[in-house]
Amino acid sequence: MSIEATRKNRRTAPGRSAGDGPSRKSRKRKGVTERNRPLWLLAPGGLLMTLVILIPLALGIYMSVIDLDQYTLRKWLSTPFIGVENFIEAITKTELLRAIWISVSFAIISTVVTVPLGVAAAVVTQNAYRGRAVVRAVFLIPYVLPSFVVATVWKTMLQPDGIVNTVLHNVGIEGGLWLNGPQSYWTLILVEIWAAWPFIYLLALAGLQSVDHEVHEAAALDGALWWRKLRYVIFPYLKGPVSLAFLLGTLNHINNFTLPFVLFGAPAPADVNVLPILVYVTSFQSFRFGLSAAMAVVSLILILIPLFIYLRAVKLDVHEDGVKK
Amino acid sequence: MEITRKKFLTAVGGAGALSLALAACGGNSTSSSTGSNGKVDGTGKTLTVLFSTKPQYPQEQQAWFKKTADKFKQETGATLQWETFPTANDEMTRIQTSVVSGTGPDVYGLGTTFTPTAYSTGAFVKLGDAEWNMIGGKDKFVPASLGISGPDDKNQIGIPFVSRPFVMAYNTELLQNAGIDKPATTWDEFSEHGKKLTSGDQFGLAIAYKDNFDPWKFIWGMSIQAGNKLIDGKSVKIDDPTVKKAYETYFGWLTNDHSVDPASVGWGNAQALAAFAAGKAAYFPMTSPLSIPTLDKSAVKGKYKYALMPMIPPGATSRPPNGVEAASILSGDNLVVADYSKQKDLAFAFIKMITEKDAQSDYYSIFGELPTNADAAKALNNDPMVAPALESAAKSVATPFSGAWGDVQLALTNVAVQSIPDLAAGSVSDSDLSSRLKDAQSKSQAALDRAK
Repeated sequence: MSIEATRKNRRTAPGRSAGDGPSRKSRKRKGVTERNRPLWLLAPGGLLMTLVILIPLALGIYMSVIDLDQYTLRKWLSTPFIGVENFIEAITKTELLRAIWISVSFAIISTVVTVPLGVAAAVVTQNAYRGRAVVRAVFLIPYVLPSFVVATVWKTMLQPDGIVNTVLHNVGIEGGLWLNGPQSYWTLILVEIWAAWPFIYLLALAGLQSVDHEVHEAAALDGALWWRKLRYVIFPYLKGPVSLAFLLGTLNHINNFTLPFVLFGAPAPADVNVLPILVYVTSFQSFRFGLSAAMAVVSLILILIPLFIYLRAVKLDVHEDGVKK
Repeated sequence: MEITRKKFLTAVGGAGALSLALAACGGNSTSSSTGSNGKVDGTGKTLTVLFSTKPQYPQEQQAWFKKTADKFKQETGATLQWETFPTANDEMTRIQTSVVSGTGPDVYGLGTTFTPTAYSTGAFVKLGDAEWNMIGGKDKFVPASLGISGPDDKNQIGIPFVSRPFVMAYNTELLQNAGIDKPATTWDEFSEHGKKLTSGDQFGLAIAYKDNFDPWKFIWGMSIQAGNKLIDGKSVKIDDPTVKKAYETYFGWLTNDHSVDPASVGWGNAQALAAFAAGKAAYFPMTSPLSIPTLDKSAVKGKYKYALMPMIPPGATSRPPNGVEAASILSGDNLVVADYSKQKDLAFAFIKMITEKDAQSDYYSIFGELPTNADAAKALNNDPMVAPALESAAKSVATPFSGAWGDVQLALTNVAVQSIPDLAAGSVSDSDLSSRLKDAQSKSQAALDRAK
């Protein structure tokens, strides 16, 4: 649909630039022209965006190229400019690359597991049945619980002598150490999955709601069984919402600070030293604000890559209605 | 269309640049404290004070805030406005923004170990004779409590407010049953007692291996008792044999002696306290009288006492000549006055008020935090429960006053954190410990090299 829209746009473009009388008239009838759109109406939003996003972003980038620490904090405007030194130090002398690897792999594994879970849950609650409202409400519990609470409860359960190990011991399995050592990486993924799948569920549910009633009827008339119907009729509708959920989910996992921080504390065990924890420790325990800003910029670039790919893929900026006007 | 968008962006960008410039200019205040004789008149003024919250005593703290504000109003005519922070992270954020913008609270309550970092920002008033006189003189404080006010006598920023010295709690009944007539005074004796007191599901020691702070306090203590201050001038000494010995002892309680509950590899200080309170451990080192309310409600009520932690380093029967008699890190809260404050006189009047004998005794009776006021501390000496803590406060030694200390502390804790899987498996190998210490040494040295 979007390609078609782009073609339309190209076709109308020459006529617009000619600016001849009749065509202008016809556009006027449709509403505001592209030329005299009241763009100034964007000013309040633009100002807010500048204050809340652009200025902090600019400051963050500026911080990453100066030698800002506890000693220079007070005179930050005259702090020495050191160019890419913070970036070089971040990459060569800190655990940044390892942290990126841990963060990205953890985020992708979590997303890959949560997507089918979320979609399945959405499908299960799509048709009306007795008690569906209760099931839907229960599904949302992990989503509405604050991260801090989730992490605290899991941390208590996963103690060396906690309930998880006790139960495992009773069935003959030694649980071992969940909150430190190599197993902690899987703990982080497990808890993240538990807390994050309802987000996918919500988006998938929204996608299912948008399936037209006629489509269901048509599938029924054609005698499609549940799997064929799901595979060839319903899933295509979910492609958009679920790919958005995939992207947002992954980004959320990469950015999650509260969960690993509460679960493992700082300094974190080496196996779960994720990017947000590393940036936090560098900032607030070592007070290397410049260095941590460089790390944050690197992680921003990292996050921009999938975001960019996604935006290119869905072409959010070209909308059917937008082209006509 | 392109032009319009460009114009729009230019306009918005311009506004952004303007606000950035305004933000940058809005700093530097002029210090304008009026040197008044006698009482400070603060009528119509407001003094802002930033304190940490006390989650254990929320109502008591609010009541104390109000009471103190009323008294301050009565004495100076000024209004006292309290602000609080819940965690060290929030505190750091507040200090950062205040330091950068040059506005914010006039008086800050800081943890003692945070004072060197605050000092290194250069944003707080250095206390000369005039300032000390305004708060009633240096002599009114317990001398040891001034140990972390600044790098030396001439450069001090912190005024001691409360003291939280570390001691160890011991279960009198369990020690008596094991035929131990007095608590250990050397770390070797402490380890021996630990073994002796362990049987079945009852353990000799309660140690919080997973705590984010406890481990470095043990290591620092044992090292300085053996003569290693960890930071010596321009070099960090974590790769010293004393530090390794300290870790071996600390880990050995679990791995060699088995006198600690194996579950303690997941414990923070609160869980170790809970184990001691349940009567499951005979010794609980690295606690303070703040644990009294918990213990008095527990199974060990009336069956526990406090004592100084051992002050003879591991592997020795007497302290080496260069060893320091350190009972605890110098722990508690300091008050600092912001350099940008426009009412420094009022700030010092406030600090004078809350560090007086009666105010300090009152604070102790509400929150259980020990006074730094010498007279108020002396008055508590008769309480046998608190006496060991007061002695520990007097024998507390300051951690090195360096902006790099935060990193050293972090590196020392990190050695313990990364060793936990080995601890759980039953032994920390010599090579693993050595490589972790090497890593800690190089990170800490790098931080010290940056220190200005």
